[in-house]
Amino acid sequence: MEIVVPELGEVVEARLLRWLKGAGDEVEVGEAVAEVEADKAVFVIESPAAGTLEELVVSEGQAVHSGQLLARLGLS
Amino acid sequence: MRGENRAVLHGDVGRMAYGPALELQRRLHALRRHNVIPDVLLTLEHEPVITLGRGARAEHVLASSQELQRLGVEVFPSERGGDVTYHGPGQLVMYPILDLKALGLDVHGYVENLEEVMIRTARAFGVPAYRKPGFPGAWTSQGKIGAVGIHVKGWVTLHGLAFNVDLTLNGFALIVPCGLQGVEAVALADLAGRPISILEATEQALRAFAEVFEVELVPVAGEVIRQWSSPSPSGSRCTSTPAS
Repeated sequence: MEIVVPELGEVVEARLLRWLKGAGDEVEVGEAVAEVEADKAVFVIESPAAGTLEELVVSEGQAVHSGQLLARLGLS
Repeated sequence: MRGENRAVLHGDVGRMAYGPALELQRRLHALRRHNVIPDVLLTLEHEPVITLGRGARAEHVLASSQELQRLGVEVFPSERGGDVTYHGPGQLVMYPILDLKALGLDVHGYVENLEEVMIRTARAFGVPAYRKPGFPGAWTSQGKIGAVGIHVKGWVTLHGLAFNVDLTLNGFALIVPCGLQGVEAVALADLAGRPISILEATEQALRAFAEVFEVELVPVAGEVIRQWSSPSPSGSRCTSTPAS
């Protein structure tokens, strides 16, 4: 399963602020995994399902856009 | 698009220190996420405080810790977006705890709405204010009159806007506001050329809020809202704490 950046709207600039979980970590459904900052908003990305974070595709500080793949989740 | 206006509870909680206000917001956020309560708008003033948003750099606090202590200004890290800012008496703070999905808003649309609330409030006092592309907030020809800084979790918002009405202590001199060098923070009363009370400004801001968000504000006593607590210790944090 993919974890993607949600629809942020016409933001000027969005970036991945920080990962709250690392590759290999197990996460619950709804658990916060990352924060994205857009304009003056911090948006918490939550895991859509329970599983293991297999791969973090984006690094901290990197620019991101709505719909962009952030991480791959292996379902448990 | 004008549909039926949704109801948003409004509570004025008066003057509050930053820490307790943050706790209150978190409780309301948990209640909103669990659909225990409808959308809520808090209005308040903070005791003097400098807050550091997620993007903040420590060197943007110019005053020494001794000076801040002497002035009675607290320093708080904050989960909101943005850099360093100041809150204090004479500044109107609005913390909407809103379900953006239910309101049909995305993050950008929400930030724009908050800006629009401040722009309309300033205009209600004859002060022209506008947006500055790339620099969220409300701006005037003299400087920045209002700031936004928000946090969205589960599509429910925390934090919000801070609008300078009539600052008794210009705490912005203690920091580099928003981390932007050369930006002046200005207050409504100075630009309008007359004293303006928080009450007067709040009244206009509430009207603007209802218009911009197309909602109906339903007053609730501040004391009632202050007493609301999270649904349950485990339930309220189920989204942020892994089962251990």
